[in-house]
Amino acid sequence: MSSADDSLRLEYADGPLGLRIARQPPPPGAVSFSATYLGPAGWAYDARGQEGVARITTQLLTSGAGARNRISLARFLDRAGGTLAAHCDPESAEVTVWGPATSVRPLLGVLADAVLRPRFEPADLERVRRQVYERQLRELAQPSSRADRELHAAIFPVGHPFRLTGMGDRKSVARLHSSDLAQFHARHFTGPGGLLVATTSLRLRSLLGLVERLFDELPSDPPPPLRVPPPVGQRPKDVRIDLPGHSQVEVRMGGPSIARSDPAYPAAYLADEVLGGATLLSRLFTRVRSKGGLAYHASSHLEAMKLGGYWGAEAGTGADRWRRVVPMLRQEVERIAGETIPAAELDLVRESRLGEVALALESTSDAHELAVDVAYNGLAADHWVTWPSVLRSLSPGEVRRAAEIALDRGRSATVVAGPLGGA
Amino acid sequence: MIRGAGARPKVESFRLANGLRVLLAPLEGSPTSSVWVWYQVGSKNEHPGITGASHWVEHMLFEGSPRYAKGAIDRAIIEVGGELNAFTDTDFTAYFSTVPRGHLSVPLDIESDRMTRALLTDAEVERERTVIHSEREGNENWPEFRVEEETYQLAFRVHPYRWDALGRKEDIERLTPAELRAYYQKFYGTRNALLVVSGGFEPRSTAAEIRRRFSKLPASGADVSVGHVEPAARGERRAELSGPGTTPYLQMAWRSPALDDPATPATMLIDTILGGESRLFSAGPGWGRAGEHPSARLCRALVEKGLAVRATSEWRPRVYPSLFTVQAQAARGVSLDRLETALGNVVERLARGGPTTVEMQDARTRIRRGAALAYEGASRTGFRLGYFSVLHSPEYEDKLFRQLLAVRAEEVRDRARELFRTESRVVVRYEPTGGSVDE
Repeated sequence: MSSADDSLRLEYADGPLGLRIARQPPPPGAVSFSATYLGPAGWAYDARGQEGVARITTQLLTSGAGARNRISLARFLDRAGGTLAAHCDPESAEVTVWGPATSVRPLLGVLADAVLRPRFEPADLERVRRQVYERQLRELAQPSSRADRELHAAIFPVGHPFRLTGMGDRKSVARLHSSDLAQFHARHFTGPGGLLVATTSLRLRSLLGLVERLFDELPSDPPPPLRVPPPVGQRPKDVRIDLPGHSQVEVRMGGPSIARSDPAYPAAYLADEVLGGATLLSRLFTRVRSKGGLAYHASSHLEAMKLGGYWGAEAGTGADRWRRVVPMLRQEVERIAGETIPAAELDLVRESRLGEVALALESTSDAHELAVDVAYNGLAADHWVTWPSVLRSLSPGEVRRAAEIALDRGRSATVVAGPLGGA
Repeated sequence: MIRGAGARPKVESFRLANGLRVLLAPLEGSPTSSVWVWYQVGSKNEHPGITGASHWVEHMLFEGSPRYAKGAIDRAIIEVGGELNAFTDTDFTAYFSTVPRGHLSVPLDIESDRMTRALLTDAEVERERTVIHSEREGNENWPEFRVEEETYQLAFRVHPYRWDALGRKEDIERLTPAELRAYYQKFYGTRNALLVVSGGFEPRSTAAEIRRRFSKLPASGADVSVGHVEPAARGERRAELSGPGTTPYLQMAWRSPALDDPATPATMLIDTILGGESRLFSAGPGWGRAGEHPSARLCRALVEKGLAVRATSEWRPRVYPSLFTVQAQAARGVSLDRLETALGNVVERLARGGPTTVEMQDARTRIRRGAALAYEGASRTGFRLGYFSVLHSPEYEDKLFRQLLAVRAEEVRDRARELFRTESRVVVRYEPTGGSVDE
C-alpha cells in the first residue's frame, strides 16, 4: 500500500473553541474536495418525549442556513457545483460538503452556516415532519426496515440508543417545534466534542485559519453527558413478523457487540469479514447464495461505535425458502466463533480487505469516508498506513476468540419478516 | 484521439479485426485501473418466453469459464485487492473490475476468457434460478418497482422495453439452460462488445496486451438492433394497483425520444426543470442522482406544499424511444386523486408557459457543473466512457453537452407541449392496503 501511505495519512490540530480538526490530502489526480463536521448530536441525546429531534434537526441543517433559505442555498450549491448532505446515527450527527477543489473557501462557508446558523423555518419543519411520518410507516410496512427495527428492539433494552432508529413516533414528532430544534442544536453542535474533517489540498495551517474564521461562533459549552444502559444478558430470541402481500422474506440475526475502542476490534472485524462482510468471498454468501442458490443477498456486518456495538447477519429469500436459510445463518455464526478459521481462508479475506482500502483512493469522496472514520474514532493519524501490519499480525486463534465475544450467538435474536405464509 | 470536453480525459480508441472496440483512458497518477466490458445486449434483445435472459447471463458469467471455475473470477480479482460487479439494463450489460495499479492482466484475462466461452452448465443455471427469483422478489417488495413494471407494460405493446431487465416471473421459472446458452452464444461476442480500460496504466503495453488476449477470439455476435417499432398510442392507458405500502404512490409516463433524437436536449432540460437534474449530467460525489432539489418544479409544487413526501421526474437515455416519467409519493392523508391533479397541473403549466429565465440559467448551471467533476477516478471514467459509447458513441457526450447549453426556453416549452399529450399518457396508481401497518 505504498502509494496509499501519503494520501491516507491524517494531520490533527486543535481548532477554535475546542473543535478538533483533521486534514487528509486528496487522492492523486482528484479534482474535488470534501469536508465534514461531526457533533455529539445523535439520537442517543433525544430527550424523553422528543424522540426524533436529533434526526429532524440534522436533516434541517441542509434546508437553509445563514442568509440563505432552502431555495437560495440550493441555488448557491448548484452554482458552486457542490452538494451538502446531513446524516444522523445513534451517537453523532454529521454534515458533509463536497465540491470542486477550486471552491473550498465558499463551500466551507456553506458548511459553517449549516452547522452554526440553521434557520429551522416552520415550513421546512413541516415538510420534514411529513417525510418522517412516511418513514415511520415504512419501518412498519417494509420487510427489510421492519426486520432491522425488530432486531434492535430484541437485542437492546429500553432506553438504549441502539434499540431505536431515531425516527421517533407520530406523537413525539408531532409535538416538536422549531424552538425545540434550535435548543437541541445549540447544545449539541458545539466546539467541545465536535470534529471537522477535510480532505483537501489546502495545507493544515491554511485550513486551520479558514476554520478559525468561519467557525468562531461555535458554542463552547461541552455537550451534556450521555448515560447508556448496558446491553443486558439474554437468551436467544426468535421474532416472526408476518407481512402478507410482499414477495420476499427478510431474515436477520444479530446481537450486541464491542466498541470500536476495544482491543479485540481488528480481530473481530476480520471474523465478521469471513462470516459475511467480504460479500463475494464470505461464508454466508458462499453457502446461502453460491452453493445453496437460496437468496440473492446474504451478508453480515459489525457496527463498532464509541458507545458499544452490534453485529448482524442477514439474507433476503423467498417465502418457501426462509426456513432453510435461518439454520444456515445460525450454523455459520456458531462456526465462526466455535472453529478456528483455516489460515488460507483468513489470508484471502484479509488481503481483499486491505485492497479495498487502496481502492478508496479512486476519488475524494471515497477517501474522505476513511478519514472521517479514523478521526471520529480518535485513531492514530497513520491508522490506514499501519492497518495492514495490524491485520497481518492476527492469528486464526485470535480471530476466533474475538468472534466469541463480538459475534456472540448466545445473546442474539433472530427476526424473520415478510410473507411467512407464502407470497 | 478523441478530445474531451470539460474534465473528460483523452481517449485512445481502436478496433480489432474480430470487431472488438477498445477505448483506453490513462489517468496519470491514478493508483487504480478499471476494466469495463460493455455488451450491447440487454433485455431489448429478448422476447416473451425468455425475458430476463440477459440478466441471467450476467449472473452466469461469474459461474465458470474454461480457465476460471465457479468462484474463481471473484477470487482472482479479490486476491489482488480489487472489486468487481456487473449490471444489466434494457440496452446493454456491463461487467467491471477495478484493481490496484499493476494488476490489469487479471481482469483482462478474465474478460477474454468469458466473452465467448462461459460454460453455463445445466447445474449452475438451475442453481442460479432461485437466486434470480430472489432478486426479483426483493424488488417486488417495493411499490415503486411494481408501479414501474406496470407502467412499461402498459406503455409498450410491441417493443421489448415492455418488460423489465429482471424478466417476468413466469419466464424465470421456465427458461431452460439450453435456451440460455443459445442466447449467450448468439449475442455475446466481439462484434457486440466494447472494452474500456481507464486509470493507471501504460497505454502502449496495455494496447499490446489487449491485442494479444482478445485478437484470438472469433468474430461473433449477432445483430442486436431491434426491428420492432412501437405504434403510436391512441389514448391514455391507466392501471390501479394495490398492496402493502405506506402512502399512495403515483407515476405518470409519456413517450419520449431516443438518445440521438434532436428532441433529446430539450427533453433533458424538462427533466432538469421538473426534477432538478438530468441523469447524464448531475453533480455529486455518487454515481446516481444527488437527491431532492428544492427549486425543482415538482418539489416546489408537491413536496413544499404538503401534498407529497417525494416527487421527481426521470428521463433515461435509451437507444430507442422510451418513456419520460414523473412520480410522487403522497403525504399522509393526501388522496391519489388530489396527487394526480397536482402532478398533472405541474406538467401542464410547463407546457403552457415554458420555463422561466432563472430556471433555464439554473438548469444550464447544473448541467455544466455536473459535467465538470464526472470523471474523477478510474471506475467512474470507465463507466462514463462506456455508457456513452454503448448507447451512441464516446464523442456524443460533447455534442449533447453543447446542444444542452444551446437550447432556448421556447424550445423547452414547445417540447413540453409535444411531450405531455394526454393521448400518449400512462398513469399507474398504487393504493396501499395498509393491512400490515399497525401504528
